[in-house]
Amino acid sequence: MKKFVNDPKQFVPEMLKGIALANPGKVKYVSDYNLIMRADAPNDDKVSIIQGSGSGHEPAHVMVVGKGMLDGACPGDVFSAPPIDYVIESSKLLNSAKGVLHIVNNYTGDRAAFRDAAEELEDDGITVKTIFVDDDVAVKDSLYTVGRRGVAGNFFVIKAVGAAAEKGASLDELVILGNRVNDVIRSMGMALSGCTPPAKGKPIFTLADDEVEMGVGIHGEPGRARQKLTSANEIVDQMLEAILTDRKPISETETADPIFSAGDEVALMINGLGGAPISELYLLYGYAHEQLEAKGVKVWRSYVGEYCTSLEMAGMSITLCKVDDELKSLLLAPAEIPIRVF
Amino acid sequence: MTRSSLENIELFVQTIAQTALDNEKYFTELDGVVGDGDLGISLASGFGAILEQWDTLDHNSGESFLVGCAKIISRNIGGTSGSLWRAAFRHAGKSISGKETLTSGDVVTMFRSAADGIMDRGGANLGDKTLLDALVPAVDAFEKSIQNGVNTQQAIDTAAKTAREQTEVSKAWVAKRGRASYTGDRSKDTYDAGAVAIATMAENVATAWTKS
Repeated sequence: MKKFVNDPKQFVPEMLKGIALANPGKVKYVSDYNLIMRADAPNDDKVSIIQGSGSGHEPAHVMVVGKGMLDGACPGDVFSAPPIDYVIESSKLLNSAKGVLHIVNNYTGDRAAFRDAAEELEDDGITVKTIFVDDDVAVKDSLYTVGRRGVAGNFFVIKAVGAAAEKGASLDELVILGNRVNDVIRSMGMALSGCTPPAKGKPIFTLADDEVEMGVGIHGEPGRARQKLTSANEIVDQMLEAILTDRKPISETETADPIFSAGDEVALMINGLGGAPISELYLLYGYAHEQLEAKGVKVWRSYVGEYCTSLEMAGMSITLCKVDDELKSLLLAPAEIPIRVF
Repeated sequence: MTRSSLENIELFVQTIAQTALDNEKYFTELDGVVGDGDLGISLASGFGAILEQWDTLDHNSGESFLVGCAKIISRNIGGTSGSLWRAAFRHAGKSISGKETLTSGDVVTMFRSAADGIMDRGGANLGDKTLLDALVPAVDAFEKSIQNGVNTQQAIDTAAKTAREQTEVSKAWVAKRGRASYTGDRSKDTYDAGAVAIATMAENVATAWTKS
């Protein structure tokens, strides 16, 4: 696999340097902690919001730092949780009088790093609360999780709490809001190919020419099934079916009812995993939009493009987010981030 | 010679840290069979750092000492296993907050807190073939021995023996947590490297206790 790389160990720092140099005055790069932060943060009138995860998911999350979104992102190496130090020091640098909010995708390593960091931050008198995102419907448990995974749906959580934070919402209000958004997002991903972490040098999995991985996670973790490649429409049908009929486990034995029904309004996201052309994403979107409308689910707004990727994986995920008036206004509120400045 | 509770804790930590250093290669080989082969290196790096920074740790109380060890571990062992060992030390330390002299009941609580910390972070239960399958039965055996009125040395000996026996018992199981679980049935008839580490540490603590 050919890649643009100098030293695999410097892959993440060199990327972060690029983000900072491309956005002067908007974001700052603190190289000791892989931290990309808003240049004007922290602000004592606003809760500081930090997301950490592995790298390799860009634009999540280092490129969604900015007004109306994150105040900081402190990624670990490619597909590795950030070390606890990064989380602690980043949180200290961004500490605000209104507190610090951590948004964490539900992966074991990320959970552990952020929970451990929160304990030590509390020892130091810093108020931290955490939202865990687990929107993936593909599997109940995966190799890297206890419970469901957090995938591209995290965008909606970040966007909503980011907008509310700009309006001065308190830390507790943001936690309630973030959990509420997490409850109305469902995602499912699939891959046509694996991807290659720079330090590893070989693909994390390989698929035959006629195979796809259905229900894949954002680090290429296996999903529901390895199956034969079918038409784009059949793939969308299968994924929408999984999302619309999903019953989220709420305890060892109980599951929640499906959350989408006819008459609901949704935001529909077709997220590229890094190696799917935009043309294909729109092809998929068109059919998914029609199918939802045919089922009486109204598509309120579209999100098509790359939001949460797996390096160069050829694949995509579908996310539905059920919206109400409050959520609509938060999703429509202005945001200014590196990837959206024209 | 009678040691203070703090000195007992220090002896315990020093012994398991030395065990981790002495067995780096062995634990790594065990872990390499079905795990990702970094257990020995991880433990040696975390516990090696504790020994290196021994004098700079806060030795004012058992709590501050153990919480300080937790902090060093979290900075020197990456990934999930760093978080698990950190939780064990931190929970153990917090459980004896404000106590200068520990009763045997406090010691049991301390080890139970350590195990709870590991369960909380890792989401593993007994029977999942993890280090808990050596640790928890050892704590149970220790508690039972104390209740039966035997002395501390005998209680530690019994705990170490139980840890080793349970490590052997769990060898036949299929791993359900941790990296080894990805290999499914292949994890049968292989040792869980974490359980072996606990058993070896317990045996060395028993020996150190006799000597001192």
